[in-house]
Amino acid sequence: MSQRKKKERDFHNLSTPMNITFNLIAGIFAILCVFPFLFVVIISLTDEGTLAKNGYRLIPEQWSLGAYRYVFEMGDTLLRSYGVTIFVTVVGTIISLLFMSFYAYAISRKSFRYRNFFSFFAFFTMLFNGGLVPTYIIVTQFMGLKDTIWALILPLAVNAFYIMILRTFYATSVPEAIIESGKIDGAGEFRIFIKLVPPLSLPGLATIGLFSTLGYWNDWFNALLYIDNPNLVPLQSMLMRIETSLQFILQNAQNSSLGLEAMRSIPQDTSRMAMVVLATLPIIFAYPFFQRYFIQGLTIGAVKE
Amino acid sequence: MSSKRKKFSLLLASLMALTLLVSACGGKNASNNAAGDGKGEKPVELIWYTIGTPQKDTDKVMEEVNKYTKEKINATVKMKQIDFGDYNQKMQVMAASGEPMDILFTSSWAFDYVQNARKGAFMELDDLLKTHGQGIVEALDPAFLEGSKVDGHNYAIPANKELPAQEVWRFNKELADKYNLDISSVRSMESLEPLLKTIKENEPGITPYAMVKDFVPLMPFDYIIEKLPMAVRIDTTDYKVINMLETQEAKDALKTVHEYYKAGYISPEVATTSSVDDLYKSGKWFMDRASTQPFAENLWSASYGYPVVSTPAGDPYIYNWSVMGSMQAISANSKYPEKAMEFLNLLNTDPVLRNMIDSGIEGVHYEKVGDNVMKNLDESKNYDMPTFSLGNLMITYLNEGDPENKWDEFKKFNESGINAPLLGFNFDSSKVTTELAAVQNVKEEYWSALMTGTVNPDEYLPKAIEKFKAAGIDKIIEEAQKQIDEWRASTGK
Amino acid sequence: MKMVGEFFRNIFKNRMMLLMVLPGALWFLFFSYLPMLGTVIAFKEYRFDRDGFWASIVNSKWVGWQNFKFLFSTNDAFIITRNTLLYNIVFIFLGLVFSVLLAVILSEITNKRLSKIYQTGMFLPYFLSWVIVGYFTFSFLSSDRGLLNGLFNSLGIPPVQWYSESKYWPLILVLVYLWKAVGYNSVVYLASIMGIDRSLYEAAMIDGASKIQQIRAITLPLLKPIITIMTLLAIGKIFYADFGLFYQVPRNSGTLYGVTNVIDTYVYRGLKTTGEIGMSAAAGLYQSVVGFTLVMASNYIVRKYDKDNALF
Repeated sequence: MSQRKKKERDFHNLSTPMNITFNLIAGIFAILCVFPFLFVVIISLTDEGTLAKNGYRLIPEQWSLGAYRYVFEMGDTLLRSYGVTIFVTVVGTIISLLFMSFYAYAISRKSFRYRNFFSFFAFFTMLFNGGLVPTYIIVTQFMGLKDTIWALILPLAVNAFYIMILRTFYATSVPEAIIESGKIDGAGEFRIFIKLVPPLSLPGLATIGLFSTLGYWNDWFNALLYIDNPNLVPLQSMLMRIETSLQFILQNAQNSSLGLEAMRSIPQDTSRMAMVVLATLPIIFAYPFFQRYFIQGLTIGAVKE
Repeated sequence: MSSKRKKFSLLLASLMALTLLVSACGGKNASNNAAGDGKGEKPVELIWYTIGTPQKDTDKVMEEVNKYTKEKINATVKMKQIDFGDYNQKMQVMAASGEPMDILFTSSWAFDYVQNARKGAFMELDDLLKTHGQGIVEALDPAFLEGSKVDGHNYAIPANKELPAQEVWRFNKELADKYNLDISSVRSMESLEPLLKTIKENEPGITPYAMVKDFVPLMPFDYIIEKLPMAVRIDTTDYKVINMLETQEAKDALKTVHEYYKAGYISPEVATTSSVDDLYKSGKWFMDRASTQPFAENLWSASYGYPVVSTPAGDPYIYNWSVMGSMQAISANSKYPEKAMEFLNLLNTDPVLRNMIDSGIEGVHYEKVGDNVMKNLDESKNYDMPTFSLGNLMITYLNEGDPENKWDEFKKFNESGINAPLLGFNFDSSKVTTELAAVQNVKEEYWSALMTGTVNPDEYLPKAIEKFKAAGIDKIIEEAQKQIDEWRASTGK
Repeated sequence: MKMVGEFFRNIFKNRMMLLMVLPGALWFLFFSYLPMLGTVIAFKEYRFDRDGFWASIVNSKWVGWQNFKFLFSTNDAFIITRNTLLYNIVFIFLGLVFSVLLAVILSEITNKRLSKIYQTGMFLPYFLSWVIVGYFTFSFLSSDRGLLNGLFNSLGIPPVQWYSESKYWPLILVLVYLWKAVGYNSVVYLASIMGIDRSLYEAAMIDGASKIQQIRAITLPLLKPIITIMTLLAIGKIFYADFGLFYQVPRNSGTLYGVTNVIDTYVYRGLKTTGEIGMSAAAGLYQSVVGFTLVMASNYIVRKYDKDNALF
């Protein structure tokens, strides 16, 4: 461990001015990125009346926890949505990592005779999709997934884009030589994949794992399509429903003259921002978990030893 | 290592098994439904999709509803609510894919009634209405069924509610009183000028006219398609279809709005403002325009928390879109159309059922405080339905504090309605879809900016007219004219 | 017969690999290839049939290329194609440069804790939906309450009506895009950099190479495969535009359409009233075919010069 530390220090022999410049660039950009989110947090903590009077302000005249109180009044609905989202994210990420790393590993191997065919098979789906209605029919009528939790998991399980990235990771960071040496030791293809490959491609797997985690966490569209049961609605979908319904009602308020009645059910600005905060915070805390794998830098050298 | 691997394969196997199980369940459900078809005695389950935010207690209430309907018509209903913003998209996908359903909400503004009737999403109801829906025919103002015909047939049951649409000027009463402004003399857009001026000069923090991007000045036209410039004059006798942007009235109206915009009566951001809710909440507005219904002033005042008064801006006209504001249709693929119609009949005629679906369970969600007056209980927050979307409004109980003559006033209001010239005519756009898509894009580009007075009409109106022409508006007008002529010939208008 | 035998022998020889692609391949079959059959509705005037979707397809009328016409029939066709292409080219290029730059910078920062904090921060925009980004840009650009005009005011510069002056929007859109995407995309490159064998750098340092030289001679060349593949994949999507960016952020302001109207917004606005699914299928097919052609062409070029990095 101490040896590793030393190595790292050696490796980063950046000159001080350069180091400062790099820190400045990264720091300023990071602040620019964090700022809007802080703004959202501030709005969620602003008193509703003050917001209506003064508009969005960095330092509101009057702070309030009212928005969160409102959101928490939903109580078990909110908790259940958290539960659905977490379950879907965890199970979904595991399944998709399995499916995709198998697939990507196979098509990254030069010894696989059909690698070009299967690469194309995956790639083609990135560009051509059948559209909403046919997909809907396959999922609901062929597979009978409507109103089940699997309708939130399976449609996102595989993504050709990620497979392609993962394939490149395998091709560049897992040298054929290691696999060949594994073969000589008598390990089967499967064993090689399970034993040798993951440590070598950890940054790659972590990246794709992160992407699919985010994909599942942020998904709302599948719930819109396939879920009628209010108990199976994930967090983002709840949030999105409120947003789209708000916009829809505003657009039609005049036309239908019914706007007033429909408007009642829409939460206030501050509550919506509070929901954004609540839907985002947990996943931000999950981020460092993935980050470990590509910041610490598990080097190939380490594995070789 | 090997135990890890075992664990891993176990996980995989159980996942697979779970998937199978789940899909098997789904399959079974489907076949169950089909099995119920053959037996006449077993109560039929109707699947009902309707608009609105899903409520916590829906299933609880539907249990009670089903006890009642089973006894009355030997049917139960499974109600599924889809939120306002999702309704269009979700219903489009479901209808296109042939999802099993029996009853569904449709209207001029959500899951478009005319379009989808033409595409074959709904069952034609002419005969069913005669055999299983006599109650509906009796209960509804005949103008509703007449006005909602598509190519001569009924495809949905309109809700019995306000029939015409009438625009009013609304005023923040406190401000009107403060400056002693006489609102009764106001009628045209031009006549607002002195009032707006007073407010602008004396109340710097107030937006004199609370306008949003959807604003269109009141102009004397009946539109072929809402918010597109193809129209006939509202007092037309020859039914000539015109591009209303080319008329003098349009030019004058847009000029007036533009002057108001320049004078600062309207927010400079109006062309991109979709909501002025913050103004309503804070009371920092003086006036705007809205469509009304009987006792609307009470509704507005109660909702904003300060008095709002209004005066008419136009006459009550009955348009296609106002008739089709809220309807329930029977899906084309319904297996039990007769039962569905029986249910709709009951919903529109039976106060017990109608109020149960609207307000929930008596003693839980509401309590009765009079013969037809009710009071919401605390639990009603778990079952808060959009009343207008669920059939006959005039048999719902009054809320505590509602005027006793509420529904009589509605009937009077409905009788006062004047038929717009195109009432009963529905444009079939299938021959001009290409042009319509292009025209729609031109409209989005120019409409809000022109209508809200953000740009100078002298400069932009000719530009817009030219672009509409290039997009093929003349072909749409021609097609509309042809259809209107045929329609007049067949109906004797 | 011999060929059949050989085919089965090959299958057997590759059985482990085939088994590994099986779950993914099945998924593609069900979730991608089967639904593709539905693409025929692009050539149909779609009408509902009570026996479900497939019956509807069979019974709907063939209309040939009719559904595609609205994409090409007006002057807008040129504008939306130009906007979509130009914005995407800029996005691909600048996105790549900034993401790689950022990844290199992050990997070189000595203080790992700080580096982590920066990175977490850069990730945040990805979580905000375009609707909320729209609110946020509005709080900057609103003509009467916006921060920017407030600043201009105090500096004595006349205020700008941001939402009606189209000349500023190409820049605004590019900035907003980069702000939202760069942090997220740099993760891929960062992970790649971390996969690079450290001993290479050590060797370079012994040879006395400066940091810049190391980056140029080791980091960038080794990033080439991932850069190539990311770019190829992005080219495939060049005819798709991010709807939220072009619709929510400019607040659907009509006067800005000259520089904000892209294929996706055009289709959305055009079909809002009619809701013809045949026409939206046609638009999707058009985008796919163009993307497919472009990516095949670029893949061909890549293949010629650098076989290993081609997609297939």
